[in-house]
Amino acid sequence: MASVVSNGALRHEKKPLGMRMRKYWGFYLMFIPVLAFVAVFHYAPMFGIRYAFYSWKVVGDPKWVGLANFEKLFKQSQFSVAFANTIVFSVVKLLLNTGLAVVISLLLNEMISLKFKKVSQTVIYLPHFMSWVVTASVFSLILSPSESGLVNQALIKLGLIDEPVYYLADKGWWRVWYYIINVWRETGWQTIIFMAMLTSIDPGIYEAASIDGAGRWKKMRYVTFPALGNTIITVLILNLAKIMNLFESVFVLQNDSVKRATNVLQTYVYYQTFNSGASADYGYTTAIGLFRSLVGLALMLICNYASKKVRGRGIV
Amino acid sequence: MKKLIALMLALVLCMSMAAISASAEEPIKITIFVDGTIPDQNNGRDQFEARWEELHPGFDLEIIQPDHSSYYDVMQQRMSNKDDWPDVLILSSTYYVDYASAGALWDMTDAWENSRTKNSGRFTGDKVFEGLKLDGRLYGFAPTRGNGCVTYVKKAWMDACGITEAPTTYDAYIEMLKAFKEQYNTAPVAAAGFVGGEAPFINYLPEFYQDAYPYFVQLEDGTWVDGFTQDNMKEALQRIQDAVKDGLIDKETLTYSTKDCRDKFYDDSFGVFTYWAGTWATNLKTNLEANGKDGELVVLKPLEGLPLYFDRVPPVWCITSTCKEPEKVFDVFIDDMLDGGDTQMLFTYGPEEVYWSTKAGTVLDEEYEEGQFHMLENLEKPGALYTKYHIDPMLSLASFADGYYDPKEESVRPEAKAASALFNENSRMAGLVPGTDELSELNGDLTILKSEIIADIALGNISVEEGYARFEDEGGLESSEAIVESLNAL
Repeated sequence: MASVVSNGALRHEKKPLGMRMRKYWGFYLMFIPVLAFVAVFHYAPMFGIRYAFYSWKVVGDPKWVGLANFEKLFKQSQFSVAFANTIVFSVVKLLLNTGLAVVISLLLNEMISLKFKKVSQTVIYLPHFMSWVVTASVFSLILSPSESGLVNQALIKLGLIDEPVYYLADKGWWRVWYYIINVWRETGWQTIIFMAMLTSIDPGIYEAASIDGAGRWKKMRYVTFPALGNTIITVLILNLAKIMNLFESVFVLQNDSVKRATNVLQTYVYYQTFNSGASADYGYTTAIGLFRSLVGLALMLICNYASKKVRGRGIV
Repeated sequence: MKKLIALMLALVLCMSMAAISASAEEPIKITIFVDGTIPDQNNGRDQFEARWEELHPGFDLEIIQPDHSSYYDVMQQRMSNKDDWPDVLILSSTYYVDYASAGALWDMTDAWENSRTKNSGRFTGDKVFEGLKLDGRLYGFAPTRGNGCVTYVKKAWMDACGITEAPTTYDAYIEMLKAFKEQYNTAPVAAAGFVGGEAPFINYLPEFYQDAYPYFVQLEDGTWVDGFTQDNMKEALQRIQDAVKDGLIDKETLTYSTKDCRDKFYDDSFGVFTYWAGTWATNLKTNLEANGKDGELVVLKPLEGLPLYFDRVPPVWCITSTCKEPEKVFDVFIDDMLDGGDTQMLFTYGPEEVYWSTKAGTVLDEEYEEGQFHMLENLEKPGALYTKYHIDPMLSLASFADGYYDPKEESVRPEAKAASALFNENSRMAGLVPGTDELSELNGDLTILKSEIIADIALGNISVEEGYARFEDEGGLESSEAIVESLNAL
């Protein structure tokens, strides 16, 4: 309902909730399952947060320990390593994947043969559909220091190394290959969003640029790239909010030699829970989970603020 | 008036008799929580349940069976609420110790001492049950051994190197590996990791670890020590480092999974493989033959003067402390599992006409006469036969009663039986470590540190001395001592 206020502007007045519910009862009815789902699977489990302040081993009564779990957490050197790794792995992965996705999208966009372009797109999307377990097995074979290891044999043939390198057992090399494997698996998929943006650029602008004497490089630099700018920032912001969720990609590639150096928060929780030789203290692991969620929440709020500044609207 | 009273009395009598008869007919429900070691509904679980109830009139078995891979997740969620506890559940050694220590399990020591199984004369698992006791009390029942690994050597490789006798000493063993290396130009030993992730940890490289053990062990005088800090562990790590350096152990052992090892063993990439005894002896043989290789394997006895193979602590059936009638549940469910008769047959070979039959017929191109025992085709894996139900006949801790037909001879292949017999004669059980606050708080990080040091020493990245210096510098020794102290304080 609209009414005129003293300065002459129109103001929309909301009807009371009860009236709206009566009027749109069908919509509210359809909303109930979603509400129930969210309440049961997203909000009800939050009551478990209280265990972060208890010592609890599932059987027996939980013992109130206040902030002791958090004190322990910050004293553990392995926790600090895992936290730092989570941030570093995620940020490097994010920048590499997004940067390379932009480059690949630009290259794909320049392809003239439509058939070749489609084949290329399909080939670079495919790794995304491979499970992390299969990916790890494939790369273990490729990176093997034995005679069947493709990478080592190729590098030896090229004369770049004399002896095979056991990449996955070396803490430094492990990180390098972790990023490479992630790029191989995820970059292609990320190009979809950039390709969609590129196809929406008005061809008239390219035509005008051609008339103005711009070559292919200048068109890319002055038309294509600026058009992608907003999308790149949006993708970065949206992915930044998810960076605390690393687990599977790290877990499947770990081995005894690099485990401590490559732990992220979620693998750290896993080993604390299943590698302790006794029932884990779920209070402690819940405290780690809560800490992770709080960092994730803070990042999301920062992203939301950044999104408002850049895009004029938030992400939540 | 008298007639009225008589009528009322008769009515009350009739009603109370009806009530008694109704309550007598009401079966006693036993809820059991179990993983995939009881085959699921796609594999005859309903028929198993029906047959069990037929054998135990007056009892209603309710089986709660989450997916095998998520069993312990679901179990812990369920155990977090005391009202939801089942009467019976199956537990691995870690949970068994913790739950028993927390008072969640019924103490079955007395029931076991007076049980029909223990006093049957057929029971052969006294050592296993001694190993299951915590502070002298028993909280779980194991119908089988835990099984363990034995070392298989390819006979064809021995023949090719002119080795006629299986090695009985470490020196002879190393000589054999060197001969294999010379002949086949490949590391003859591979395993899934230089150290395992769970007890008994060292079972994939027993000849190299020998008497060393990287976890907490109780000495004969009752004191606890961390096996990782003992001199024999340092010697074992030196042996492993030397063997990797000499190309006798494949250095990719660090990243191999058990499947990788099996596949490489089948395609002749290596010749000495320590793997599970029993049915796996047959699997290794048939897979080698399927790959066109010679399937004959020699099972090594433990090298002379060295400890025996490790028997894994078996999963145990436990009765929860909230069970209303634990004695009755023990009697019908636990004690009857190895009754030497129909119930043991059901738990070992499964329900008749689903898992096995004695009717004349053809199964997978094999003809059977009327009365001849034979296993049936797997409902989920066409082309394969069922081999057992819950109890592996080769690992069972009790034989069938005299006069009761045991089809083990027909159902178990000779190589599996031989490997199993050798293991059973030459194995000891890995000890249980009681749960303490320090263990649960510190052992997660400690285990990862130990595994890293073992891996780095094995690969030659650091010397044994440097490894132990790192152990001290990075807080490993401190954590280890704190745990040992907590165990000795129990």
